[in-house]
Amino acid sequence: MLMISPKMASGMQEKQYTPCLLNFFIYNPTFGPREGEEEKKILFYHPSEVEKNEKIRNVGLCEAIVQFTRTFCPTKPAKSLHTQKNRQFFFEPEENFWIVMVVRNPMIEKPNKDGKPPTIEYQEEEILDTVYGAVVRQCYSMYKLFNGPFSRAMEAGGVELLMQKLEKFFYRYLQTLHLQSCDLLDVFGGISFFPLDKMTYLKIQSFVNRVEESLSLIKYTAFLYNDQLIWSGLEQDDMRTLYKYLTTSLFPRHSEPELAGRDSPLRPEVAGNLLHYGRFLTGPANLKDPEAKFRFPKIFVASEDGYEELHLIVYKAMSAAACFMINASVEVTREFCEQLDGLVGPQLTLLASDICEQFTINRRTSGPEKEPQFKFIYFNHMNLAEKSTIHMRKTASVCLTSVHPDLMKILGDINCDFARVDEDEEIIVKAMTDYWVVGKKSDQRELYVILNQKNANLIEVNEEVKRLCATQFNNIFFLD
Amino acid sequence: MDGGTQGAAAAAWENGTLAAVDRLQSDRADSPTPGLVEGTEPGAGQRSAMFVHAQSFEDLSTEVEDREAQLGKSEGCDAEEFNVLVGEKPAQEPRNNFSSDNKTKEEDISSEAWRSHKKHIFVLSEAGKPIYTRYGTEEALSSTMGVMMALVSFVEAEKNIIRSIHADGCKVVFLTKSPLVLVGVSKTCQSDKELLRELHYIYYQIVSLLTLTQLNHIFQNKQNYDLRRLLAGSEYLTDNLLFRLERDPSLLLSAVTCLPLASSFRDVVSSGLQAAKAKNLVFSILLAGDRLVTLVRKKDQFLHHIDLHLVFNLVGSSSSFREGEGWTPICLPKFNTAGFFHAHISYLQPGSELCLILVSTDREDFFNMSECKQRFMERLSKRSAFQALKEALKCPSYSVAQVGIPELRHFLYKSKSSGLYTSPEFPTVYQTDGEQERLMRLYQDLHSALHHPTRPLRTFYRCGETENMLALVTSGFELYLCFSPLATKAMAVAAVNKLLKWIRKEEDRLFILTPLTY
Repeated sequence: MLMISPKMASGMQEKQYTPCLLNFFIYNPTFGPREGEEEKKILFYHPSEVEKNEKIRNVGLCEAIVQFTRTFCPTKPAKSLHTQKNRQFFFEPEENFWIVMVVRNPMIEKPNKDGKPPTIEYQEEEILDTVYGAVVRQCYSMYKLFNGPFSRAMEAGGVELLMQKLEKFFYRYLQTLHLQSCDLLDVFGGISFFPLDKMTYLKIQSFVNRVEESLSLIKYTAFLYNDQLIWSGLEQDDMRTLYKYLTTSLFPRHSEPELAGRDSPLRPEVAGNLLHYGRFLTGPANLKDPEAKFRFPKIFVASEDGYEELHLIVYKAMSAAACFMINASVEVTREFCEQLDGLVGPQLTLLASDICEQFTINRRTSGPEKEPQFKFIYFNHMNLAEKSTIHMRKTASVCLTSVHPDLMKILGDINCDFARVDEDEEIIVKAMTDYWVVGKKSDQRELYVILNQKNANLIEVNEEVKRLCATQFNNIFFLD
Repeated sequence: MDGGTQGAAAAAWENGTLAAVDRLQSDRADSPTPGLVEGTEPGAGQRSAMFVHAQSFEDLSTEVEDREAQLGKSEGCDAEEFNVLVGEKPAQEPRNNFSSDNKTKEEDISSEAWRSHKKHIFVLSEAGKPIYTRYGTEEALSSTMGVMMALVSFVEAEKNIIRSIHADGCKVVFLTKSPLVLVGVSKTCQSDKELLRELHYIYYQIVSLLTLTQLNHIFQNKQNYDLRRLLAGSEYLTDNLLFRLERDPSLLLSAVTCLPLASSFRDVVSSGLQAAKAKNLVFSILLAGDRLVTLVRKKDQFLHHIDLHLVFNLVGSSSSFREGEGWTPICLPKFNTAGFFHAHISYLQPGSELCLILVSTDREDFFNMSECKQRFMERLSKRSAFQALKEALKCPSYSVAQVGIPELRHFLYKSKSSGLYTSPEFPTVYQTDGEQERLMRLYQDLHSALHHPTRPLRTFYRCGETENMLALVTSGFELYLCFSPLATKAMAVAAVNKLLKWIRKEEDRLFILTPLTY
């Protein structure tokens, strides 16, 4: 007689594992060229508990792969290694400095009868190189934003200082990587812009000019509303990294206290100042506090002679946030902060409610908010503008999408296709689930649309996308 | 459901046909739609499939189920037998631009010219010994191949398997098929899977010369054996196979194309082969160049398309069969990796494209096979089918203009159940080798996208600057179309229906609808 206990039955279920970070290391092959000194090449290794010989072996494999690939293409370095169990991504951001990320393939664990160990099946086709290659580059950009290039630490304090900085930065940063929810948006690394009418846009610009005029210490300014960018004085690439930091790390940590109830502990002591809702997100939490420290995070941005170091002041009133950047050689004092608070606080509060009002009016005229009719992702390589109606909201921890992960991967596949040839293209595919996916690439712009019209044919799908382009992108020409 | 069949039966009876009701036949609509069931698509065989064919190329990567030959196992090869095969001389009139290859063999491997080849293929033993390289000499590459082997074993030591390395515009794909390791380096934008498929073909090519049993035996005895000693003189087969892989849609589609021939004549040829049977005869294959005229097989024995392509490659690469009757051992690895078959290969007439291949299980069967051929020839000339065949040879292909769709430049249509495909000749826009290879790569891209291992697609449409491509897969067929860049989507959709109708109309001529067995 066969009896299956509930425990056994539950044990028979398949277990699905998402991709995860196995290793992340940084090495420089020139630091330990002699045999027996291989450990010196390793500047950072995650997880640090890994046994020394294994670290050396893994670094050795990467070196061998890079060297081997040079036999065939001396100018283009290896970017990834695929194996049954994992994928490794290589990136050489500065000469001889290699960053390697090892991601385990997603897998399914199938239990076996008779107490045999479970069978593991690796899903080797699930990880997209473009997505995770972009994640590695993002890691470096983020390090560089807060620490400057590796060479800076090397000049300032040699290998030891660099190792300290790497440890300090990546120990925390790696915990914020959510590899299972990375997708096409990571490849683009775009910036979401806030749509605004001309009048309000001019108001913001004049606000920025006025503040920069009165507080001449301010070198660059960036203005955001609702986690979307409106104005930036920084170079595009720096803004892209800063934007990523603000929207996935800083802003989510300071959830809106304005929305909290009056007596909520979340609401900061406005200290009788009811004229405005302005507050510092970096630097002092409360200006009135005599103990307040006036220390701001430092960031590094590109300048004519390499890079420059800046204090990053982020000041927020309701949904409007302004970033002010000041040369790091200048000390930011209490007086300066008070001056800034007094000047910016009331104006920003006013601007925030102006924008909010405008936004509500616009939304009302364009019809009530509802589930977007079209699911699409748009990206413009020229100004890094991105727009997605697929992603609900990107927070620090999770990125929720409203479509099946397989469809997201098909978008990624189409994007890879586009990247191969430098010409305008359109690709329309029908998945096995009968969803249609349309990709259009036209003059540096890419648009991806997912249509859930199972019985539609190619012609009808084409009509739908035309309609979308007419309503959402009426001034952009897409190849038909 | 029954009602439908009965209805069809009644209709057949009413029409007064005496033929038994063939369900398949009654379902063969004149205007096939993409919703057809497998077995009723244009080109589907009416009895049973002629050979085992892969549903898709993934089949290549599944291990060979060792189908033990029930026909008396061929004894292991001895050196003498082997020499017969590898002693073949390469075709004296090499196909197309093939002759330059001898020069590239001596190329300096540190030169830019060597590096810039579009596709390198290496075969090595598990001891890291070079066995084959497409460009340069194996000697010069021994250290490079040593590194390849080191990478493979290093990853293996971690209980893992190396698959591929990717750089911008270059990829390296590894395939370990103990006791061999195959490495492909490609600068084309071919997918990993396509490259892997090609490596599998190369592997089977080598197995077809030696059998896997012997290959294993050699390396078990002597790990660092230099296999080139056994394969010397056969490199041209691999070279030629690689050339075919880049140009021949049949290898991409895992299918075979036929010589267009009126079905009445084809049936005469088939029954001629069927009649010329012998005890140990397993397959009779009549080829016209790269096209199949017909294939007759022993009942219950199927020929895998890979094996058939290896036979095509053997015949197409060697000119010596033109000199008389050839008798050569060949292992058909998808049938049985352990033993040899013996193939009687001869052209029907000197200078003719028609080549007859009779595959026997008995190595002493040469004279029996020769007699089978005579019997077949007699029958063929008696029924004037030979003349018809020769006529058909004059137009082995057709122009896409015959289909009557103005914007359609080219297409590939594969009937899944029969494993046969049809395709017109290349139009004038694709006359150069470079253009033809580019078109083939576009087809490869479509094929890879449709047959993605985890995210397969039903339809793929690409509109680019030089052409518009449409590909679709249904349970019955695969269709790949190439349009001029001016074609619209509406045209493309209309073209599919029109083309299917045309193929249905022509299927008697383009496909083998009634395959025979002995």
